[in-house]
Amino acid sequence: MTAAATAIPTDAEPTQLDVRDVEQFLYREARFADEHRYDDWEALWTQDGLYWVPANDDDADRMAKMSIIHDNRSRIATRIRQFQTGRRHSQVPHSRLRRVVSNVEILGNAENGDLEVGANFVLVESRERSNELWAGRYTYRLRVVDGAIAMSYKKVALVDNARAIATLSFLI
Amino acid sequence: MYIRPDIVGNEFAEVSLTIDEEANSRRLRLEDLKTGKVRYLDALELETLVWLPEGNLAKLLDPSADRWREEDA
Amino acid sequence: MTLTDIPTSSSGARGPAAPYDELIEAQRVHGSLYTSPAIFADELEQIWYRTWVYVGHVSEIAEPNDYVRKNIGPQDVIMTRSADGEVHLLLNRCAHRGNLVCEADAGNSSSFRCPYHGWTYRNTGDMLGYPFHGGYGGRGKLDLGLGRVPRVGIYQGFVFGSFAPDGPTLEEHLGEAKGEIDRLVRLSPEGEVEITAGFLKHKARANWKLLAENETDGYHPQFVHASIFSVAQSGIGALYGEKSTAVTRALGNGHSENDLRPEFRRIGAPLGWFGTTEEKVPEYSAAMRARYGDAAEEILIEGAPHVMIFPNLFIAEIQMFTIQPLAANLTVQHVTAVQFKGAPEMNKRMLQQCIGSVGPAGMLLADDTEMYERNQAGVAELRPEWLDVRRGVHREEIDERGLTVGGATDETGMRGFWKHYKHLMTEGRAQ
Ligand code: FES
Ligand SMILES: [Fe+2]
Repeated sequence: MTAAATAIPTDAEPTQLDVRDVEQFLYREARFADEHRYDDWEALWTQDGLYWVPANDDDADRMAKMSIIHDNRSRIATRIRQFQTGRRHSQVPHSRLRRVVSNVEILGNAENGDLEVGANFVLVESRERSNELWAGRYTYRLRVVDGAIAMSYKKVALVDNARAIATLSFLI
Repeated sequence: MYIRPDIVGNEFAEVSLTIDEEANSRRLRLEDLKTGKVRYLDALELETLVWLPEGNLAKLLDPSADRWREEDA
Repeated sequence: MTLTDIPTSSSGARGPAAPYDELIEAQRVHGSLYTSPAIFADELEQIWYRTWVYVGHVSEIAEPNDYVRKNIGPQDVIMTRSADGEVHLLLNRCAHRGNLVCEADAGNSSSFRCPYHGWTYRNTGDMLGYPFHGGYGGRGKLDLGLGRVPRVGIYQGFVFGSFAPDGPTLEEHLGEAKGEIDRLVRLSPEGEVEITAGFLKHKARANWKLLAENETDGYHPQFVHASIFSVAQSGIGALYGEKSTAVTRALGNGHSENDLRPEFRRIGAPLGWFGTTEEKVPEYSAAMRARYGDAAEEILIEGAPHVMIFPNLFIAEIQMFTIQPLAANLTVQHVTAVQFKGAPEMNKRMLQQCIGSVGPAGMLLADDTEMYERNQAGVAELRPEWLDVRRGVHREEIDERGLTVGGATDETGMRGFWKHYKHLMTEGRAQ
């Protein structure tokens, strides 16, 4: 881990960011994920990060229902280290990925003051098995840590999260 | 006088109505407060009640239609 | 008969799609078994639409008039609980013109109304009525209802269906596998499991048998899962090593298990099988000791089963999978976390651990599924034609229950699977 992680804000000065800076952050995050730049991607997270891909219901109770991904910060790290072994077979070779992130919208501030941002995405994954089309809604929570934007939350509501889907072992 | 918002009552009967979330989709929970008897109605049953002609409902109100019959007594 | 010579009679009595006696040998099986659409069609008739298949759990329809949509292979099955508490398995097909009657995954309703022309059925499958009855000469004139899975069997809350009107009972079919289900439910302080967390649905472009065989294959974990074992400091890898005292057991009727109890007993730590200790789940431990007394120690040490119940139910300790075959090269795995009734403390942990492991992004199952798909691609190659299943055959033993037992990494479970499969597809065919 590098720059991003320090204290969790307690008495919440609501984060204010220019939408252009927010977009630049989202595009960078998307590019790191598309290019499997795991360390760079992991460094975007705050220490209390939560990476969540719900199943069956975009607003499911994540403590009581199955999720496709439900990673706290330590599980994010485990996931990254698994990739880095070079033996995560479902990502050896890597999926070729490109995503478009659009409809970026500042939604307001979360309870802890983090800036909540929504966006839509479309992503093509290419592997020997097939090309897969992935699409959905991202919700991020952002805050400034040591002068740089970091994310404390990324939720990925896939449009087809209630249906049978293919292996999704890359960073969505 | 305070009347619980979930109760429909008068001098003849008193029934509480709540939306129940315990099943796989919402139901209306009805409780006859005089006897404690409970019945649930699902959406299709409720829609059916809405369409029930007055006459049919009146038949059901006959005290010996489904209750107070000699054979049960 | 050749593989392309597909019989076309429509009843279940048609002949075999392939010379199974020649394709299934004691120590090897033919690649066409995984790729032939004709064999797949034959399997639907002889296995999926005949033997007992796991459908769902009673806790998914806990309340009267609850229903959930389930499946038996490609068949869309509505599992209902009628007002009298009975469990029914109905086919999602209107008796009028065959429209789907239910669209939602789950709900609560005493009756189902087809959206096409309004025909309405009780949740027992019986016809209730149809609109504008004059067109049928009045009310109650049609002797039609929803299709039913003719036999419904329930064991410890696990609901199975069989399309065969008669045949072995569910208990006969489960046989020795019953004990494994018993071993799972006794880990609940109330003796019941609950399936309440919802399912992930994970598509595998592979034949269903590759999944079924892999479930108790103790040979692959060290290779397929090495990445996660190394970063998560998991002890699971060692359970499936050459030095492991765990065994693979064919339970009969195609069922098999990796019996890890010898390892857990050797370690001797209550809840060691789950990678935790009693101190970390004090309420659960107290509830278990209150219910089972002295027996609790052994129950907590031995842990949950790792059992594949033919043809589609796989219980992997805290995870429950069902296998849904859709084509010779397409299968959906449905997976959820087992939850123990009366054990909220334990359930939270089981759910989160399960989410990390299984499903499309699971740190274990994504890699298994990658292997299924590469395996499917591989078996389509023409040579060497056969898949080898001889591992450990020379060191198998018969245990005191009369069951065949091999080492932790041996292919004893697969051989048991194929023996039963061959029986169902040859001399045991539906007449
Ligand atoms: S198909 Fe169902 S009512 Fe016509
Ligand atoms: Fe595996």
